[in-house]
Amino acid sequence: MPVLEVDRLSKTYGKGELAVHALREATLSVEAGELAALIGPSGSGKSTLLLCISLIEVPSSGSIVIRGNPAWREGKAEVDARRFRRENIGFIFQGHNLIPFLTAQENVALAMQLNGAGKRDAARRSREILGYLEVANRADVLPATLSGGERQRVAIGRALANDPPIVFADEPTAALDTDRGMKVMALLRRVARDKRAAVIAVTHDHRMIEGFDTVYEMNDGRLARKEVSTRAAASAQ
Amino acid sequence: MDLALRDIRRHLGKFAATIVGVGMLLAIVLVMNGIYRGNIFDGIWLIENTAADLWVVEHGRGGPFNESSRLPGDAHKSVAAAPGVARASPFISYAAQRELAGASQQFTIIGYDVFGGLGGPGRLAAGRRIEAAHWEAVADSRLGLSLGDAFSLGSHSYTVVGLTRGAVDPAGNPVLYLSLPDAQEVLYQQDSHALVAARAANAQRLERAGYSSPEAAKLLPLLAGSTATVNAVLVQLEKGRDVEGVRRHIEQWLHFSAYTTAEERDLMLEGRLKKMSAVLGLFRSLLVVVSIVIIALIVYVLTIEKIRPIATLKLIGAPNHVIVRMILEQSLALTLGSFVVAYALMSLARERFPRTLILLPEEIAVTFAVMLAGGVLASFMAIWHALRTPPSLALGG
Repeated sequence: MPVLEVDRLSKTYGKGELAVHALREATLSVEAGELAALIGPSGSGKSTLLLCISLIEVPSSGSIVIRGNPAWREGKAEVDARRFRRENIGFIFQGHNLIPFLTAQENVALAMQLNGAGKRDAARRSREILGYLEVANRADVLPATLSGGERQRVAIGRALANDPPIVFADEPTAALDTDRGMKVMALLRRVARDKRAAVIAVTHDHRMIEGFDTVYEMNDGRLARKEVSTRAAASAQ
Repeated sequence: MDLALRDIRRHLGKFAATIVGVGMLLAIVLVMNGIYRGNIFDGIWLIENTAADLWVVEHGRGGPFNESSRLPGDAHKSVAAAPGVARASPFISYAAQRELAGASQQFTIIGYDVFGGLGGPGRLAAGRRIEAAHWEAVADSRLGLSLGDAFSLGSHSYTVVGLTRGAVDPAGNPVLYLSLPDAQEVLYQQDSHALVAARAANAQRLERAGYSSPEAAKLLPLLAGSTATVNAVLVQLEKGRDVEGVRRHIEQWLHFSAYTTAEERDLMLEGRLKKMSAVLGLFRSLLVVVSIVIIALIVYVLTIEKIRPIATLKLIGAPNHVIVRMILEQSLALTLGSFVVAYALMSLARERFPRTLILLPEEIAVTFAVMLAGGVLASFMAIWHALRTPPSLALGG
């Protein structure tokens, strides 16, 4: 069963002649452990799609189903939006967006505590995740003293804090050189495989396209699966 | 996880500097409170600390502190003869600016009947009361004089035999007690040039009126201004006597004005102190408002600086109460910290402050409560902004 099913999702800003169709009947399906890329020019609707799936923006029509449970259907949310995000979606940002006044470990633990985890449990599990991401030795330092790569790993750790079925990554390699970008891609691949999470990454980084299982292209609000020969797809076959 | 506390810990220096800055402002609020109350306290100190039931002054005058009042030096005798009066004492009070203890000081001289009369110093901090008719003084410790010190006023030297603490006139200046004749002499003493000039003018007037020189010389002492006047007569009633009856008798038969201690206090509060109290009250209110506005702006700026982390928190699913709590806690920490700093600063400055500062515990508590409520109100603008921040702000570079 797909982890995420989006069916004919549309988003229109404004009305009448001033209406802007940011998203036009986008349909996609992502399986657990799948690494999907979302590419397209700026303003094509990539962020709108992620915001709608995250229930930050209200879709105009269509439906969203997570692990078989409807989250959005017939013009209304079936779940509490923030709880839905806490439990189902992990976010990785281009600028990392770690909370600057919390240590690496606290950044990860915060996401757990927001989802109801106890203080001790959150502290223990957050250290485990940082260990898994190979930054356990940097657990007690503030983000300002971490390198770019370390920050990105901590951000991935925060995204994985509540074992979400879906991880959204917004330009995860944009600020990194090729070598570090490759390492992050390998890490996302490992996360998708080990945690059975569907990872959907918005990217402009054509150097990294080869690393994805599936590539979706957005253009003028329309989403299309792009048939590209990726190394990952080839190895899957 | 306490986000506010962690943010404060991360920016400890900045937060501490902000607290000190706001604390200094709040210290001014507390000092203004102290001045406001101190002004009232000083204004009525002499009235409250004089054991008089009635203050008898010149007819139609609001004296002796609000308006000048002159009574004949023997007025206390006729007042003492009024039915119901147990004691009546002459009283003189005037402001002076003289060299004392090596500095030019403003103070008030009070002259009273040192042999059992009313109006003398109350509780002494050191030494004894004036026991001689002349050349002894009781000084307030703020004048900088010590027991046994000798100082000059006019052409005489006086010795400090007693010290008071906190004896002040309505303007907050320290008080110097002298015997009545000494105080009168200091008040009316003229320098020799002025005496010679007055005498020559009187002699000319008598000669123009047809008096011969020997006759004029005999009459001249009679024309000299009287120095035997007093400002008020202080009255103590017999036990159980109706104050209204005694007052009525004094006003009708002696043609003076008489005020009870309560009326004398009201005269002071409604007259001389009213505008000053209003101005201080206005300043106090303005400072409170300004402090709250400054706290609001600081909390707002602290929130704006965190707007991207706040958007991130919302994006990862943090409920609103987590964000509201963070802002409120910082606002309360700022207000509390600032108030502690303000109280400490004010306590340090209190003893050295040139005016009397009266800090009533209930007023400090009210100021604290107002500032606390203000701090909470002040954070509403920041909370409103934070709650309106779209989570999508966290996305993008």
